[in-house]
Amino acid sequence: MKLEPGQTFPDLDLPDHTGRERRLSEVAGGDPVTLLFSRGWWCPKEQRHLQEVTALQDEFEVAYARIVVVSVDAPEVQAAFRAGLGARFLFLSDGERRWLERLDLLEETDSVHRPYRPTAVTLHPDLTIHAAYDGYWYWGRPTAEDLRQDMRAISRAVRDDFRRV
Amino acid sequence: MSDLPEGAAYLAFDGHELHAGDGPGRRFMIDARCLQGTPVHGAYAHVCALPDVAAVLEFDQPEVQQVRRDALGWWIGMLGDALICLTTLALDESRYGGAITVTREPVAWSEDPFARIFPGTIVQTDLFCDVAPPPGPVLERYAGVAWPGGHF
Repeated sequence: MKLEPGQTFPDLDLPDHTGRERRLSEVAGGDPVTLLFSRGWWCPKEQRHLQEVTALQDEFEVAYARIVVVSVDAPEVQAAFRAGLGARFLFLSDGERRWLERLDLLEETDSVHRPYRPTAVTLHPDLTIHAAYDGYWYWGRPTAEDLRQDMRAISRAVRDDFRRV
Repeated sequence: MSDLPEGAAYLAFDGHELHAGDGPGRRFMIDARCLQGTPVHGAYAHVCALPDVAAVLEFDQPEVQQVRRDALGWWIGMLGDALICLTTLALDESRYGGAITVTREPVAWSEDPFARIFPGTIVQTDLFCDVAPPPGPVLERYAGVAWPGGHF
């Protein structure tokens, strides 16, 4: 699947880091979403990038926006990684790689873990894609400022009262 | 009841028992989803609220935001499948009267972050239904509906 702006992203159904079944649309709950596909807890690049994302969570929580991370790690492993990061946002576990294959996001250069290729997608509340980032190379990932700009653009588009001046 | 915001429901607490709608004790507004669906029988509600009308804070006070951060950070995860639902107890669109966490079995209530604001009372109840736990935010949506309910 090509992740193009304007397309509707699939409504992922996966267990969260507590093992509870979730749907992406339910998690979005009417808010813009930053959806991050991550290799897993063991990758130093993921650790670094998710530290940066965790530093943003205070803003997301008061700005009515969501952060969701998807990886192939088991829920209990995600829960431990999440606690280590100090993250309060949701992790979704695709240990069976059901969505990995459908989304065509297999990282083919890692034959040990068969993880997701690092990819970020910013979504409208109805899961319309605003922007997509290929993070295979670290500098391809969205910075904190990229994510702020995307959340601002989406909020401007979906909140009728966003700009009154 | 016509002034009840969409998505909200009334709940009364007298210090010992809970009653949906009007009942004896202090009346709060909760996230209505907690009462919509198939009730879980024999559940445990940890009611972190007091019947005393003076037990009230503004939702915007930092401690009320922080206990919700703690709920998102570790309380919900720690409860796992035991969690049925949770809701704050709103007095109106700006004032916090407490919170309730409902579980299928007794849990480590002493860890309940909401009990750091108002002390908890354990009540056995058949009122509450399963609601998917919130992924955020940590504040209300200006709808007069108790967190985590409400929408724009």
